Amino acid sequence: MAASLKTATVNIDGRVAEVEIGATVLEAARRMGLSIPTLCHYRGMPPHGACRVCMVETDTPRGPKLIASCSHPIEGDMVVRTDTPAVRESRQVVLELLLAEAPDSEELAEFAASLGVNSTSFEPSPQGKCILCGLCVRACNDLMKRGAIGMFGRGAIRKVQTAYGEPTDQCQACGACAFLCPTGAIDLKRITSRRITPHITDFDKGLSARPCIDLGHPQASPRAPVIDRENCVHFKTGECGLCSRVCGRGAINYDQTESRISVNVGAVVLTPGFEAFDAKQRGEFCFGFASNVVSNVQFERVLSASGPTAGHIRRPSDGRTPKRLAFIQCIGSRDTGCDNDYCSSVCCMAATKEAILAREHEPELEVTVFFLDLRAFGKDFDRYCDRAKNRLGVRYIRAFISRLYEMPGTRNLRLVHVSEDMKQTEEEFDMVVLSLGMEPGAGLREQAERMGVALNRWGFTQTTELNPLETSRPGVFVGGAFQEPKDIPDTVMQASAAAGKAMALLAPARGTQVRTKVYPPERDITDEPPRIGVFVCHCGSNIASVVDVKEVVEQTRKLPHVVFADHKTYTCADDSQDLMKEIIRNMRLNRIVVASCTPRTHEPIFRDTLRDAGLNPYLLEMANIRDQCSWVHAGDAEKATRKACDLVRMMVARAATLQPLREETVPVRNAALVVGGGLAGMTAALALADQGFPVHLVEKSGELGGTARSIYRTLDGQDVQAFLAETIQRVTGNPRITVHRETKVVKVAGHVGEFSSTLNTKGVSSEIEHGVVVVATGATEKKPAAYGYGSSDKVMTQLELSERLGGKTLSLPPNATVVMIQCVEQRDEARPYCSRVCCATAVKNALQLRESHPVARIMVLYRDMRTYGFREAAYKEAREKGVLFVRFDPESPPKVGVAASGVTVAAREPALKRELEVKADLLVLAAPIAPRAEREEISELLRVPLNADGFFLEAHMKLRPVDFASEGLFLCGAAHAPKFISETISQAIAVAGRAASILSRKEMPVSGQTAFVDSSKCISCMTCVHVCPYMAPMVGRDSKAEIQGAVCMGCGSCASECPARAISLRHYMETQVLAAMDGLLGTRPAAEPAMQFERVGVAPPRFRSAPDGVRKEPQRAGGEG
Amino acid sequence: MNDEPVLLAFCCHYCAYAAADMAGSMRLNYSSNVRVLRLPCTGKVEVNFILAAFERGVDGVMVAGCLEGGCHFQVGNLRARRRVERAKEILAEIGLEPERLEMFNLSSAEGPRFAEIVVEMNNRLVRLGPSPLRLSADRMADGVNELELQADAAVKADVSAKGDSHDRG
Amino acid sequence: MIVADRKKIPEIREMIKDHKRVLLVGCGTCVTVCLAGGEREVGIIGSALRMSLKLAGREDVIVDECTIERQCEDAFIDLLAPRVEGYDAICSFGCGAGVQTLAERFPKIPVYPGLNTQFIGILESQGVWTEKCVGCGQCRLGEFVGICPITRCAKRIFNGPCGGSRDGKCEVDPDMDCAWQLIYERAKALGLLDKLERIASQQDWSMAQNTGSRKVVREDQRIAGLGPKS
Repeated sequence: MAASLKTATVNIDGRVAEVEIGATVLEAARRMGLSIPTLCHYRGMPPHGACRVCMVETDTPRGPKLIASCSHPIEGDMVVRTDTPAVRESRQVVLELLLAEAPDSEELAEFAASLGVNSTSFEPSPQGKCILCGLCVRACNDLMKRGAIGMFGRGAIRKVQTAYGEPTDQCQACGACAFLCPTGAIDLKRITSRRITPHITDFDKGLSARPCIDLGHPQASPRAPVIDRENCVHFKTGECGLCSRVCGRGAINYDQTESRISVNVGAVVLTPGFEAFDAKQRGEFCFGFASNVVSNVQFERVLSASGPTAGHIRRPSDGRTPKRLAFIQCIGSRDTGCDNDYCSSVCCMAATKEAILAREHEPELEVTVFFLDLRAFGKDFDRYCDRAKNRLGVRYIRAFISRLYEMPGTRNLRLVHVSEDMKQTEEEFDMVVLSLGMEPGAGLREQAERMGVALNRWGFTQTTELNPLETSRPGVFVGGAFQEPKDIPDTVMQASAAAGKAMALLAPARGTQVRTKVYPPERDITDEPPRIGVFVCHCGSNIASVVDVKEVVEQTRKLPHVVFADHKTYTCADDSQDLMKEIIRNMRLNRIVVASCTPRTHEPIFRDTLRDAGLNPYLLEMANIRDQCSWVHAGDAEKATRKACDLVRMMVARAATLQPLREETVPVRNAALVVGGGLAGMTAALALADQGFPVHLVEKSGELGGTARSIYRTLDGQDVQAFLAETIQRVTGNPRITVHRETKVVKVAGHVGEFSSTLNTKGVSSEIEHGVVVVATGATEKKPAAYGYGSSDKVMTQLELSERLGGKTLSLPPNATVVMIQCVEQRDEARPYCSRVCCATAVKNALQLRESHPVARIMVLYRDMRTYGFREAAYKEAREKGVLFVRFDPESPPKVGVAASGVTVAAREPALKRELEVKADLLVLAAPIAPRAEREEISELLRVPLNADGFFLEAHMKLRPVDFASEGLFLCGAAHAPKFISETISQAIAVAGRAASILSRKEMPVSGQTAFVDSSKCISCMTCVHVCPYMAPMVGRDSKAEIQGAVCMGCGSCASECPARAISLRHYMETQVLAAMDGLLGTRPAAEPAMQFERVGVAPPRFRSAPDGVRKEPQRAGGEG
Repeated sequence: MNDEPVLLAFCCHYCAYAAADMAGSMRLNYSSNVRVLRLPCTGKVEVNFILAAFERGVDGVMVAGCLEGGCHFQVGNLRARRRVERAKEILAEIGLEPERLEMFNLSSAEGPRFAEIVVEMNNRLVRLGPSPLRLSADRMADGVNELELQADAAVKADVSAKGDSHDRG
Repeated sequence: MIVADRKKIPEIREMIKDHKRVLLVGCGTCVTVCLAGGEREVGIIGSALRMSLKLAGREDVIVDECTIERQCEDAFIDLLAPRVEGYDAICSFGCGAGVQTLAERFPKIPVYPGLNTQFIGILESQGVWTEKCVGCGQCRLGEFVGICPITRCAKRIFNGPCGGSRDGKCEVDPDMDCAWQLIYERAKALGLLDKLERIASQQDWSMAQNTGSRKVVREDQRIAGLGPKS
């Protein structure tokens, strides 16, 4: 195809290229990476030649001649110069004329200044920004076919305007004229009679505008921009189409249509997420018209470094940094007025986080949170709130804001609320954040109906406490906030669990649709000297418009070991990659440097190309000359080019030292060891067995069931004992599960995929082999010492009450008084965490008591009622049924007197400021859930960490809630943190989901980029063992350190600390890092150190290896030296 | 233009390097004299590497890792911080301004912060002036010739070394 | 293990600055384990020294480095011998024994210490080393249930504790545990408190380091002709 095109040889400023006949000089120059200034030209628009700024000089038979490069077509071979005295003079005159024409245009002044013209010697016109280049008129007429504006008048009075100079509806308010105008002369308001509305971004929640073609959000997947069809002129009128002409890759496709795809699946997981409550429903908060009232979702964007204000806190009305910021909690949550009488669970912590971030960013900012109950029920949440309160001075006020109003002028907001001492109070803030609740998305009700999935009364999926993952339709599972409002870790747990459920269902079909790619055998390059190929990418014009890629190639060709260097418009395009493979084979290249974009996205692509060409994938190095060069130094092409040359030189030097790495595999034993036979352990075991994996379930006591044995009923009224009995039966009856009762794990050796452990059953040892370990050791109710517990049978814990209620062994007079005290020996200094379940348990037990004792007086003394999610409805029901909830301050806790006659409880109600005294027939204490005593032992055994409260510490609090940091180790249930049965079940099944990613394989790949020990240099100092966070190094039988490849994550910490420098990290060896530095700085030939002998501190050969040669050795070494 | 300081940035793959990429996609302008060397984790930054960079004549070194508590490899960035502090101590001992070296923590979303850091380091290096350990003013521009010069110098050094040993013999 | 820590760069520079070619020699045993004189540390010091000299206008001084297995063993030093050719000074990153062994082996070349040798001790936790033994020549740890009052008591009391023991800490340094409190607790735990009832006998200080270097001689191990030098 290329051959049929007629081309000419064009020489521009000494650069030579073949360019097709008919292209303009400007096009040719830009393709060569040369920039010529233009004003009236826009890519994709036909040239007009109006502004005359783009003049260049060409040779004609009659001598040099100035031509407008934007419109001058190439007709034959030609020589062009863009920077001669004549060109400069012409440009100067043109610019001075234009400056006189449009003295008010800052854009033009800046443009002229960048070309060295700072003033005009002509008489400037009194005013004006327009240079009459006509670009806007051409856009409106030729591109948009609207003709709303035109050139009117002749000579000095010529101007761009609408017919009669009046705003017209002929204008479609597309803004193309304003966008294209090089001098900022267009005022759209004077052209259009329509309303001008920016396209607001959904991602920034209306806080910023976006173009019609947009990426959606930075993490969009696939990472491809899309056209907003509702606003795109081409889709509305069929005109424009400029984008398709600008895109060099031809990626714009207007004909794409929505398509229906049918897939055959065996399971469906619903994860549609949630929508924020529409704050406009609550008019008293002025959302939508008071501009300084924003939602928590918007404020999240404000805080984001990549958000609309780049992470700076600015209020929308005037862009000022606010001094006083208020959060109002529970907007659209716990609100019967809009039928959202559930708690959204996450807003207390989200507001606390935002408050902390805001305070950290703006130390002067005063932050106040208006809340009802501070629901910091999750792991380490209370600590986090304490940090906000005590260290960062965030003010928490327990009050519901009844209304707020905007102050005219300042646009500040006055908040009206009733303070704790029952007085109406007003306070003024500069900015207010509304903590909006979570609601199911608008269209979900209809969709759910189509799918046959039942919803609860709020429109979330109907599930039960004991079956939190399955919807009403078999095979359809749910994960995340569509089941119940929840935080990230709970969402991740539930979603992993839904995957676990689906995998169990699909277990028979596993692996049936896998296709594996076949690569050619790898070429052995051991004896080859480095032969480096360098591929420099234009990335369309992303790189080439700034960086002189030809210069980069020229410079690169001079570098040692470089046998090939060239540039391509798109190195990652299929044809370029095919060419790359061919070049690698033909030129026998053995190291490749790609100078293009970021290795974070493209390294996998090019590594694959290398494999296709028979090279080890680790022989690739990338120089990032786009994201970290052309994109950030666009203003200075020369420096950008120099930097690109430097980066390539650095990477070429490093590439010369690269070695092929082998990605080993380790065999996987597909059994699992589950430690703990409670509900968590059993559920995990069953979920794993359902997927077809053998399970060893180890229980230290003689009986399965754990703490669940004391629980009879869930809050939604399900029978826990029946469920437990059924679970135990399924476990014991499952042929894949081996239950080891009265057994302890005494030793765990090995690593992910390949563990061998020793069990001790009543003194008898046995060995088992497995691929993963699940810690499900649970937790226990810690019996309190306070409030007379133990001194009277009238004082018991909530768990004990549950047991008595369930076993119907509670004897109380019908009109008894029952007092419950919450937060006993927890949320204090000794145990600064919340046990999460006690509030709902108290509500559950109170409701149950109410059933059996309709006239009993029930009083709950609490600090914050943490009945999150749908539990809030039960809390409401309890209040409606006359259960009395009385708050107390931790500073003045209830006082309890226990005597033979009965129990007296005195509490101080902070709002009433009065002491209440009650004679109670029964005192129920919400005792803390504490980690089990054997936690230390297991922590030691598996080398996994505990948090400050003694619960096992997961790999990541938010994103990896069921994994330990070390691969192949998982955790679930109350061993992780206190939690409800539904949450325990979710987490346990989640473990099965996560573990399956290991157990379902026959072998596991181990990254090639791991550390290794030169054992002849190792002195067994144990530094690596102490430093590694993954326990990858171990000191083996010969007392030398050894890195377990399957465990090593490749961070290099050990290699950086080893005092004998015996450890190296593959792919980042000392020589490889220093080579890059030397390459960059030109300090020393990278491949062969000039002074090998002195500079490199080599330990001499070991004495041990040459016992007889001790005396001879020096002479040999001396000869070399 | 060769008076521009040379700033070497050891960036971890997961956060700092990603932040630098983000600065790119946000088209944030920053000083062009920074050269990023990507490592899997700042935990791989050895004191030796930092000193080697200064010995080779860079004017400043920045080590940029994940936020504290956010390290992809748990604690690599915390260990790196300690090492950077130790290297600073050594720089102070040899009489080179320790401010030429700095450790930063930033998340992968903090493109603007990356640009800020580079600008801040650059301003600092401009204020401090070129490193007295710089080899020659224009080695960055003409690395290849410099290579040859160095190799040449090395050969000469080798010869003189041999001469010395003869004297001793 | 012998524990040492590094000297400051200016001190080393002052020692070696009048030489032309200096070889830094690391030791791959005790001082590597205590992160003071192994290949890594010698590399760091070498790099720092070169820069320091250059900054002091002495870039003509050539500084190179290498590390050998053990500086207190002739066989390993022999391997070093050819490498030393051409250098007019050695800076040893071994313990005091290493420095002196090198000095004896290379009579014509000045040998300087790169480290401050501290004590015989252990790694208490990563980055912290503690002294455990002063090498008194007559070990009586058996009497003191495995805790040495000579090393660990500020006053070297044999019949402690003194009146300055407060809450298990020493009055001389409140960060230091009272050795006698430790001895008492361990003896109590072992049920050996009666051992402490007896007055401890006098220490034979004639075995301790006080009059020149001590020697240990094993006649059965001595080989004719290969005896200690000097």
